[in-house]
Amino acid sequence: MEILIDALLQGILMGLLFALVALGLNVIFGVMDIVNFAHGEFLMLGMYTAYFTSLLIGVDPLFALPVSALTGVLLGLASYYWFIKYLLRGPAIAQLFGTFGLMLFLRYLAQFLFGIDYRILQKGVLIGKSFSVGPFIFDATKLAAGVLSLIAFAVVYYFLNKTKVGKALQATSLNKEAASYMGIKTDKMNALAWAIGGGTVGVAGGLLINFYYVYPTVGLLFVMIAFACVALGGFGSIKGVFFAGLLVGILEMVFPVFGQLIGSDFLGPHFKFTIVYLAYFIIVVFRPQGLFGWKN
Amino acid sequence: MEKLKDALDFSDFSRAEQIGLIIFSIFLLVFPWLGSGSFVKAVMIQFLLFSLFGMGWNTIGGYGGQVELGKAQYVGIGAYTVALLMVWLNIPFWISMPIGVLIAVGYSFIIGYPLFRLKGHYFAIATICTSLVLQDIFTNWKLVGAAKGIELPIHEHPDFLYMQFKSDNYYYYFIMVLFYCTLFYMNWFRKSKLGYQLRMIKDDEEAAESLGIDIRWCKIKTYSIASAFVAVGGGFMAVYNLYIDPASVMDLDLSIKIALMAMLGGAGSLWGPIIGAAFLVPLDRFLGSWLGGHKGLIGVDFMIYAALIMVVSAYQPRGIWGIIEQFRGKGK
Repeated sequence: MEILIDALLQGILMGLLFALVALGLNVIFGVMDIVNFAHGEFLMLGMYTAYFTSLLIGVDPLFALPVSALTGVLLGLASYYWFIKYLLRGPAIAQLFGTFGLMLFLRYLAQFLFGIDYRILQKGVLIGKSFSVGPFIFDATKLAAGVLSLIAFAVVYYFLNKTKVGKALQATSLNKEAASYMGIKTDKMNALAWAIGGGTVGVAGGLLINFYYVYPTVGLLFVMIAFACVALGGFGSIKGVFFAGLLVGILEMVFPVFGQLIGSDFLGPHFKFTIVYLAYFIIVVFRPQGLFGWKN
Repeated sequence: MEKLKDALDFSDFSRAEQIGLIIFSIFLLVFPWLGSGSFVKAVMIQFLLFSLFGMGWNTIGGYGGQVELGKAQYVGIGAYTVALLMVWLNIPFWISMPIGVLIAVGYSFIIGYPLFRLKGHYFAIATICTSLVLQDIFTNWKLVGAAKGIELPIHEHPDFLYMQFKSDNYYYYFIMVLFYCTLFYMNWFRKSKLGYQLRMIKDDEEAAESLGIDIRWCKIKTYSIASAFVAVGGGFMAVYNLYIDPASVMDLDLSIKIALMAMLGGAGSLWGPIIGAAFLVPLDRFLGSWLGGHKGLIGVDFMIYAALIMVVSAYQPRGIWGIIEQFRGKGK
C-alpha cells in the first residue's frame, strides 16, 4: 500500500510538469486550431538551453530557467512569424504536415549540433538531494519541478483569465471572427499564443533537465504525453489540461507499480507509456470533447 | 473483366504523361541489364518498394485527405508474419505472405472502425498512437524476438518458394511486378465509385453524407485495401533484408517517410508517390552513404528532408506534381 501511495505522490509531481507541457499545446490549439507537433522539440531545446547555460556559465540549472523560458518564447515567435503564418493559407493537411516538418527539422538540427549522446546535469543545488516525509522519499529536483510547474501554470492561468490581453486571447479562441470585429487583432493573438506556448514549454524543459536525460529525440515521448493530456482535458480547455496532466502523471507512475504488485510482465515499466498512447486513443474515440472540453 | 480494363486504361491522361509512363516502364524493364552496380540496384529496389508504400498511403491520405501516420504498422505486420512463420514453421513465402495480408486487413478493420470516428488532427495523432503501441509490444515481446528482432534462415541454394536468390535481379523483378499491380490498382481506384466517393468526402463531408455515402465504411474499406498492399511490401522487406526488428519495420520514422514521399510528390495524384519516392529515396541513400563518412554530419539528410516538407507545405501543398501542373497551366 505504501508503495502505491508513493507512486501516487511521484505521479502528482510528474503530472504537474506534464500539465505545464500540455498547457502551451492547448493554448495554441485553442486559438489557432493547429496541433503543434514541434511542441516536444521546443521542450527538447528548452532542456538543451538550460543544460548548456548551466554547464558553460556555471550557474545552477534553476537560475537557467529564465534563459530557457526566453528561448522558448523566441522559438515560438520565430516559428509563428517565419513559418506557421504561411501555413495558414493552405489546407488543414498542409498545416499538419508543416508542424510535423518543423518537428523533424528541430530534432535533427539538435542532433547535428549536439550529437546523439544522452546528457544529464551532474551538478546543481538540488541534484542528488532528497528528503523524507514519514516513509516517503522525495527527490528535491522533482519536488521543485512540480511546485514551480504549478506556479508557472497558475501565472499563465491568471494571465489568461484576469488580464485584458489574456481575455482577448480567450475571446479569439472562442470565436475568431467575432473577436476581430471587436478590434482584437487575430495575427497578434496568434503570435501571443505561440509565445505562451513556447515560453511555458521552455520553463518545463528547464525544470525537466534537473532530473531527466536530454537527447535529440526526447521530444516525441513528451509530445505524445501532451497530446494525451490535451485529449483527456479537452482540446482548448485550460482547466481541463491541468487535471488531465495530473491524471496522466499518476497513471504513468502507478501503473507499473500495480503491474509489479500483481506480478504481471505485460504491465511492467516498459509499457508505462503504452498506456498513455492507449489512453489517448480510447479518450478521443469515446469522448472526443475530453473531460472539460468545449471544442469539437 | 471490366475492372481489369479500367485498371489498364490510362487514356484519360495527357499524351506527355502516357509517353512518360511508357519510357519509365521500358527503363524499369531493362534496368538490371544496364550494368549498374549493386548499390544502385539496391536503391532502385528501395525506390519501387517505397513507391508501393506511398501509393498505399495515397489512397486514404491523398484521395481521402486523412493524414495517416501509421503505415509502418502494416509494413511490420507483413514483415513479421512472413519472418515468424518461416522461422517457426518453415512455411514458404508464398503462403505466409497472403496470411500476413489477411492479418493486416483484419487488424486494419479492427483499428479502422474506431479510428475513422476521428478526423483531422485527432485522426493523425491516433494513428501514431496505434502504431507506437504495436511497436512497444513487439519491442518487449520476447516470443517474437523483442528489440533484437528476427533473423531469417538462409538457404544454401536459391529457393523460389522461400524467395532466396543469389542475384538481386530476381528481387528487383518481383518488386517491379508488385509495383505494377499497385499502380494498376490505383489507376482503377481513382476511377472507381469508391475513389469518387472518397474524393467527395475529402471536399465536403457533409455534402457526401447527404448524398447517402456511408462515410465511415468508405474510409475503412479504402484503408484496409491499402494496408493489404503495404503488408505485401512488408513481407518482401523481410525476405529481401533477411533480418527485421521493430526499429526497422515498425518505426514512426518509416511511417513519416512513407507519408512524406507521397506528400512531396503530390498527394491525391496517381504519379505523386512515385515522383516523391524517385526524389527522396536516392536523396536518402546517397546522402546517407555520403554523410555516413563524415561523422559530424549525422542527421543532416533528415534536416534537408524536413526543410523540404516545410517549404512544400507552406508554398505548394500539392507537392511536386502540383508545381508541374501549375507550369502546364492546369492548376489553380
